[in-house]
Amino acid sequence: MSRRPTCDEAMPRGDGHDAPLVQIGLPTGARSTGFEATRRDVLSLMGFSLGAIGLGAGCRAPVQHAVPLPSASTEMVPGVPNLYATTCGGCGASCGLVVKQRDGRPIKIEGNEASPLTGGGTCAAGQASVLSLYDDARLRGPVWLGNAVSWSEIDRHITTMLGGGGSDRRAIVLLSPTINSPSTRAVLADFRTRFPGFRHVVHDPMSLAALREANRLAFGAAVVPHFHFDRARVVVALEADFLGTWLAPVEFSRQWARRRTADGTRGFHVQCEAGLSVTGSNADLRLAVAPSELGTVAVALLAAVARRVNDAGLAALNATGLGQTAPHAAAIDRVADALARHRGESLVVTGSDDVATQLVVGKLNALLGNIGGADGPIDLARPSLQAQGDDAGVPALIDDMNRGAVSALIIWGANPVYDHPDGLAFRKALGRVPLTISFADRRDETSAHVHALCPDHHFLESWGDAEPVSGHFSLAQPLIAPLHDTRAGAESLLAWAAPAAGAAGAGKPADHRLYLRDFWRRALYPRAATAAGFDDFWERTLERGVVELPGPAVQTHAFAGDWQGAVRDIVTRASRAGTDHGGYELALHETVGARDGRHANNPWLLELPDPITRLTWGNVASIAPATAAALGVATGDVVTLTTETGKLELPAFVQPGQDRRTISVAVGYGRWAAGKAGDGIGANVYPLARVENGVRRYAARVNVAKAGRRARLAPAQTHFSMEGRDIVQSLTLASLEHEHEHEHEELPNLWRERLHGAHAWGMSIDLDACTGCSACVVACQSENNVPVVGAEQVRKSRIMHWLRIDRYFDGDGEDATTVHQPMMCQHCQHAPCETVCPVLATTTSSEGINQQVYNRCIGTRYCANNCPYKVRRFNWHNYTANDDFPYNMTSPLGRLVLNPDVTVRSRGVMEKCNLCVQRVQLGKNQALLQRRPLADGDVATACQQACPTGAIVFGDLADAGSRVSKLLAGRRAYRVLDDLGTRPNVGYLKKIELKEKA
Amino acid sequence: MRLRGIVFGFVVLGAGGGLLARGATRIGVHQGYAPEQPIAFPHKVHAGDNKIACLYCHSAARTSRHAGIPSASVCMNCHALLEKQTTAIQRLKEAVQQERPIAWTKVHNLPDFVYFNHSQHVVSGVACQRCHGAVEQMDRIEQAAPLTMGWCLGCHRAEAHVPTSTFARVAANVRGRPTPFAGEDCTSCHY
Amino acid sequence: MSAGGIHTSDPTTGAAPDTLPATRWIEGTPSLHRITSDISRPMEAKPGRGWWICFALASAAVLNLLGMVGYLFAKGIGIWGLNNAVGWAFDITNFVFWIGIGHAGTLISAILLLFRQKWRTSINRSAEAMTIFAVMCAGLFPLIHMGRPWDAFFIFPYFPNQRGPLWVNFRSPLVWDVFAISTYFTISLVFWYLGMIPDLATLRDRAVGGIKKFVFRILSLGWNGSQRTWSRYEIVSLVLAALATPLVLSVHSIVSTDFATSLVPGWHTTIFPPYFVAGAIYSGFGMVLTLLIITRQTMHLERYITVNHLEAMAKVTLLTGSLVGYAYATEFFNAWYSGNVHERFHFINRATGPYAWCFYLMVLCNVLTPQVLWWKRARRSVPLLFVVSILVNVGMWFERFVIIVVGLHRNFLPSAWGMFYPTVFDIGILVGVFGLFFSLFLLFIRALPMIAMWEVKGVSNG
Repeated sequence: MSRRPTCDEAMPRGDGHDAPLVQIGLPTGARSTGFEATRRDVLSLMGFSLGAIGLGAGCRAPVQHAVPLPSASTEMVPGVPNLYATTCGGCGASCGLVVKQRDGRPIKIEGNEASPLTGGGTCAAGQASVLSLYDDARLRGPVWLGNAVSWSEIDRHITTMLGGGGSDRRAIVLLSPTINSPSTRAVLADFRTRFPGFRHVVHDPMSLAALREANRLAFGAAVVPHFHFDRARVVVALEADFLGTWLAPVEFSRQWARRRTADGTRGFHVQCEAGLSVTGSNADLRLAVAPSELGTVAVALLAAVARRVNDAGLAALNATGLGQTAPHAAAIDRVADALARHRGESLVVTGSDDVATQLVVGKLNALLGNIGGADGPIDLARPSLQAQGDDAGVPALIDDMNRGAVSALIIWGANPVYDHPDGLAFRKALGRVPLTISFADRRDETSAHVHALCPDHHFLESWGDAEPVSGHFSLAQPLIAPLHDTRAGAESLLAWAAPAAGAAGAGKPADHRLYLRDFWRRALYPRAATAAGFDDFWERTLERGVVELPGPAVQTHAFAGDWQGAVRDIVTRASRAGTDHGGYELALHETVGARDGRHANNPWLLELPDPITRLTWGNVASIAPATAAALGVATGDVVTLTTETGKLELPAFVQPGQDRRTISVAVGYGRWAAGKAGDGIGANVYPLARVENGVRRYAARVNVAKAGRRARLAPAQTHFSMEGRDIVQSLTLASLEHEHEHEHEELPNLWRERLHGAHAWGMSIDLDACTGCSACVVACQSENNVPVVGAEQVRKSRIMHWLRIDRYFDGDGEDATTVHQPMMCQHCQHAPCETVCPVLATTTSSEGINQQVYNRCIGTRYCANNCPYKVRRFNWHNYTANDDFPYNMTSPLGRLVLNPDVTVRSRGVMEKCNLCVQRVQLGKNQALLQRRPLADGDVATACQQACPTGAIVFGDLADAGSRVSKLLAGRRAYRVLDDLGTRPNVGYLKKIELKEKA
Repeated sequence: MRLRGIVFGFVVLGAGGGLLARGATRIGVHQGYAPEQPIAFPHKVHAGDNKIACLYCHSAARTSRHAGIPSASVCMNCHALLEKQTTAIQRLKEAVQQERPIAWTKVHNLPDFVYFNHSQHVVSGVACQRCHGAVEQMDRIEQAAPLTMGWCLGCHRAEAHVPTSTFARVAANVRGRPTPFAGEDCTSCHY
Repeated sequence: MSAGGIHTSDPTTGAAPDTLPATRWIEGTPSLHRITSDISRPMEAKPGRGWWICFALASAAVLNLLGMVGYLFAKGIGIWGLNNAVGWAFDITNFVFWIGIGHAGTLISAILLLFRQKWRTSINRSAEAMTIFAVMCAGLFPLIHMGRPWDAFFIFPYFPNQRGPLWVNFRSPLVWDVFAISTYFTISLVFWYLGMIPDLATLRDRAVGGIKKFVFRILSLGWNGSQRTWSRYEIVSLVLAALATPLVLSVHSIVSTDFATSLVPGWHTTIFPPYFVAGAIYSGFGMVLTLLIITRQTMHLERYITVNHLEAMAKVTLLTGSLVGYAYATEFFNAWYSGNVHERFHFINRATGPYAWCFYLMVLCNVLTPQVLWWKRARRSVPLLFVVSILVNVGMWFERFVIIVVGLHRNFLPSAWGMFYPTVFDIGILVGVFGLFFSLFLLFIRALPMIAMWEVKGVSNG
């Protein structure tokens, strides 16, 4: 007789089965653990032992089906991932990506190693952007006046209303953040030819208008220069978080890390800032400086450097004696020494929102000869094309709208109602515009008030290109057919710009891909000095993702800015500030998780602990310990921040390193129309900083008062001191050269040495290169199907991240020093967890990986208790398909992001880092299929691949030639809690301390 | 008299225990499962009588973790030319004409927490029949092997020659291409 | 005064227990028949109001337990206060606590039997019963603390299995626990039952027929009280006692290895086995005292459970309590002497950290309280003993809580430090298990002779 399957096949498949768009051979399922099965098995076993039932009995499983494609595809083999190069749409930096597509869906974002800018790095937001593709809050199709309609219908409405297309009096305005896509710029040009009255207003929530304005005044070109931190032996950053959030953090991190060499050529990095930033936490010397003092410090620095290079023209400056009155005078002198020593190979950079300060810094760089030159640290000729925002634009636009001078407003990627100080005014003004259109992918704060919602694709669904730095081009191609009835923004514009019916070429459907290809043929291919035909060029570029096409250089002249005027301006303001010393200064900043707020509905980013505060799910008012004491405020007390443009209630957070006169608050929170996960998380601080004579300020005078309430924060780490234990070790360059540094002596061990098999997988983490940017954390979450648990569970310290970045402070004053330490399973060869598990659910494999077998685990949690690194994570609840946890794993759409090669863990199971064993197995299998031995570097873990500074190296310790073996044999290598004799396969490289400390 | 009673009791207990033990080890084992298919596809005719190689249709097994069930278009490679008509073939052709995918019923189902990769077994020269039984003689496919962990380990233990000594590792590298060995680690299949 | 004296000796002024003639372990000289009827009264009379109230409370707690455990199985361990830092708290605390309680019984019946301690006769039966119920309560926690009991069978090394076969990790103390506790439970059960057979026979003969007689007939295994039966019976008891004695020491030693073999500061200590055994006997006697003081009042058995018994137990309590106190001191000394930064920090944290109040409560209850028992008057004052016994139970529960939670919440990496706050489910289950324990005991004193008649008769002066 043929028995039907019994119950244990009724296993919930992680995904794939409910995948609407992939109908392929076999269950693509992220294999959710079959704990159901084991349970039923036991029940039926009990039933049997009671003699109640016979063998054939037992419940029936729903029969599983396998549905092959109607016709075979050569592109896609079921179960074999494809990699496609594209361009990140996460922020303006447009990093090159290689996206892993499995059975027709993108499931993992990786950096594009071919990119000369990022070299394969990514950031947390970029890693998480794949989840936004499967966001339930996305619009399913176009909406006209609140009703879902078809594209043809909405096009009809819009084209008729655009009609002749405005005039110089009644303009059609496009409001968007910086657009660095050449093809899109061409689309806009076409649009302008069709509609003469067309205008483009660029609005960046966090803008660099002051920098561009200063460069216009100084060098005659309003550009954001292309910075080369790797060409600078000395980097001085004034309020510029270039490793975390400023301009192009991934590219800059890579450059910066190149200077973190363990020898005499090591760079020296000085950071002057109000709130502790990721960059500041990695600086060799950090000076706490209030925003109002930034100018003074710049001037003092200029004066100090001037003295050293004894530049005649600057004698007058010395007379002002600012060098003395400015804070940190002594430190500034030391910095000036370093700068003067490295003329031409140093870099002073500031994100200040004050043109005068920018001018002074420009002068300083000019004085030091850092500008221009073939390998100068500052490149004005081939500038960055990011952050082109024009702060005066939005206020002017609001006026025009109110004056009725705008006939149609198209909003593309901008959300001014949320992220502009005049958001409220903007929303009111929207009502005065006859036709408002938004390309937003959801009903957000702004698009909720427009007439026509024409949702744009997610960047993983659409074609496109980018030119983040002039000459550096990057192509974007769709990884998946659009999930919903959306349309590329450029395509919409083309459709509306199509010649009116009857005119030549009418009725030709706009096709973004063809347009893009055609544009590249026309505009860019000629610049490519290649013999190959366009088709080859196109194919190769598409495959490689990035291409360098040198263009004409921007014409600039030598520094000609009125720096004396700037200095005078700063001095007078400083003295005025000196007179009225009441209240504090509010300093707005971005965090690596929330950035400017556009990713607000992404649970991965919401639950990403901030590298500095280690807080999740919300922003806080960071207050210096001294100030907190003065105000009688403790962490968690709600404080009221009042500026002249508004007030705000936020929980206070006592932050070492914070300048004592400033309160720092992260932007990007407090969205109210982002989606289920993101709404009402934290508070929106944008309205508290205003636009001042054409430039948007990110600082303001603020009054702080206790609100008398307490808020419950959700910290991922509660204790900030290392308690004098040598967990994060460091050494000085001197001691590194020093020969007689005591060798690491072997400790006696009661266990037999463990024989390893063909490989012994290990990892090395360079604490000197790790910035704490947290890209690896999200990469790990995305690769390994790590669930999001929500604020309440994080409060109970039940966060599930396999890889966390511990952060310790030394001291708690303004001069507190910070260290970051990525901490995950250390893969001990004498693992404490292994001996105590009663059921052998965790053991060390023949290849040195401490393996966790989910389906064997019975959940005693003994292993977690016995783990000295506390890296094991227990599934306290069922986090999948459980309405108590309404995050991506509970939504059928969100589950599409799950990695089919990694089991989705069930409740009551222990889990932890397994060194991406699925990648190891895949790598070994690839080698086997190609009949070759596995080479070093064939396998990269998710965290390693994501790391922009290359701090993480994974490899085979059994192969003495492998990179990881060499690194872990070096002098800087050490193991955490070595004296416990756990013999980890994960090792760390000690931080390097420069003598220069404040 | 009483003695006989005791003996009888022990016999009953023993038999019951034996049955229980056997039952316990058979739970969730579906050896012999042979469901109806939407189109009665006789492997006997194709793989047996006509000696079509397994990997001709299940080409994915060479490169993928999934053996892959061929698209109807693959069937048409031959059936477009063959004039032999049966109702089954008729239904196949309809499906192809209407671009309608066929929902086959899976026979060999592994639990979701088991990772099995066809390609690495195929390339290591494991015959399909070793796990799938004498497919070429089956009219309707049925699960031949128990597909339990113990059963997998049967082969893996026999085939496992993991080089543990430095010499063995060097030898493996010198030999250039690695001799495939069956892993015995938990993470060979569970992750 | 002669042992045959008619008058009952006044405990306070009467013959000093340690001088001849030996302490009298029964008040007065009841006839053998009187003893039988006294002891079997609770089983034959209708339960009083006191009993009903106690039983109502206890079984209410049991219902609560069932509900909460059901919810736990449905929702998962997350409903407790546990977290990444503290993986065990109330669950294992309760487990160790109840195992500890389960120690007095076998000690009394086995070891004291071997030492020919006559005073055990009237308390051993209930002590053994208590042991069995306590071990049952303890056994609950390893099962429910996994949250998925349907997988618990993985912990047994059974063959054949489908997994190749896959066995268990014999290096894990949790596996040792499985064997140690099941063995202990079996032996205790057998010992208890065996000790009851003669009394069951008595009850069988007293029973006026019906279901009761039938049950007792089955249970008494056809006991006929012949000379031969008795002599063999005595031998079997001695053999079993000899078997049970090592278990008294082994069980808690093995339970202590759950902690001692780990590397958690505050757990990783060599003195744990003796220290845990002492603690277990300590808490066991505490519980025996509590129970007997209640029952002798409510069941009017003062005649058989005399103040002398209580005093004898008070002495054991004093001894073991002092041992435990000594162990506490040793731990601190070793931490300091080891020079190990983590060990030292743990004990500083134990005495000054957020859970310091638990530590001081534990010292107060376990070390200071029993010291009053140096005074004979204190040892013979029933109300005082009652208070002491309660405090001992509280203290011993907190001892386990301090060891487990303080050890876990702040150890090697400060980045991973956390706190444990119990939820309503932690507390509810704690209470519920006490309910289970007491309802079992209340049923026991109604259904079975809570004093070994035949043994009491052995020491009677009638």
